[in-house]
Amino acid sequence: MTIRHHPDIATLGSFGFGTLDKARAFVVAAHVTSCAKCKAMVRGFEETGGVVLEDLEPAPLSMGAGEAMLDMVLHGADADRRTAEPRLAEVDLRTVLSTFDEGPWRWLGPGVHYKPLTTAPAGEARLFLLKAEPGTSLPEHTHSGTELTLILRGAFSHSGGRFGPGDLEEADSSVEHQPVVDDGDVCICLVAMDGQLRLTGFMGRLLQPFVRL
Amino acid sequence: MLCSAHQAWPIAAPQRYAPMADNETTSHSRLIERVAANQDRHAFMLLFAFFGPRVKGFMMRSGASDAYAEELAQETLLTVWRKAQTFDASRASASTWIFTIARNLRIDGLRREKLAANAQAQLDVLDLDVERPDQTLNSVERAERLRAALSGLSPDQLDLVRLSFFEDKPHPEIAKALNIPLGTVKSRLRRSMMLLREILEDLK
Ligand SMILES: [Zn+2]
Repeated sequence: MTIRHHPDIATLGSFGFGTLDKARAFVVAAHVTSCAKCKAMVRGFEETGGVVLEDLEPAPLSMGAGEAMLDMVLHGADADRRTAEPRLAEVDLRTVLSTFDEGPWRWLGPGVHYKPLTTAPAGEARLFLLKAEPGTSLPEHTHSGTELTLILRGAFSHSGGRFGPGDLEEADSSVEHQPVVDDGDVCICLVAMDGQLRLTGFMGRLLQPFVRL
Repeated sequence: MLCSAHQAWPIAAPQRYAPMADNETTSHSRLIERVAANQDRHAFMLLFAFFGPRVKGFMMRSGASDAYAEELAQETLLTVWRKAQTFDASRASASTWIFTIARNLRIDGLRREKLAANAQAQLDVLDLDVERPDQTLNSVERAERLRAALSGLSPDQLDLVRLSFFEDKPHPEIAKALNIPLGTVKSRLRRSMMLLREILEDLK
């Protein structure tokens, strides 16, 4: 798998610092899992986080915080309290792929289906899978928000280049493109998107009323 | 919600970037190893005394209330106690390791309420392990170089780093809070990350 398209450096940094929303973090994590270059960069941002943390102005703890802490670790008080895994956030692509079998694909347009993975509240990025049949020409479109797309299987091309498995595409309102899926294999993508997908082509405008993405 | 980050420096004044004594940074690693080896409560309390207030400060600057920030700091240190065996000093410095714990708790803690339950279940797979990075400098040496590089930044540049570190607001909200155009926010964030990338690439 040759990866040619990587997340923007600002996206990688936000991911390493943990300021990216979860839907986008999920997509970036799936890319970073299989990209040594981005993994090393995220590692660097985490190291920066460590240095910044060390040099942060300490916020005084309340009276008795130390005793409470000691009590917590020694007596297993609050044993069911959350503990975070001290690891780089990554995604097992197999876990993502296994969700293919669950739930129905929904029709989005000719040759295109999608499957929502999250029910994010309004204003938050949504996560979904997109499946397009070989040779499908997707409606020309732009975005009112931003969109991260990770290609899991197959490939597509548009004016920005060709995107295959492991590649990550970032798009926002400044990008207007019309992807065409390669012949021979379906293309399946993991997408995090906020805002509305705006279809700009003639077919797209016809379809827009039916598209709830 | 995170407006506080705009008003105060989250990073102490540049002179605080004076290199830490080697034994101080390595000793944090040693303390974690002592917790791992024999549940050394004295070692743990030393870690708590140093990192507890800093993690609390980190959470407050990320928008948590005083009480909730302290709770998240306790949970971070509780994780240090419970997962000390998984700490590998050759892979990460103590502060990097603790930062990743705090960061993951911040993601969970400050956003949990906003996520639907099934989304949470999907996103819980976000934890797998990383291979050891191929680096010639050890983690403590890298942290020292990084600290030195940060100390060389101008106030404006530090401001950019700060922006990228604590902001999790959508860019339009940052633009509104800072009263600058949206495109400017994006390019400033991008510039700060590129600056960091340069520093990080010099470490190789
Ligand atoms: Zn990459």
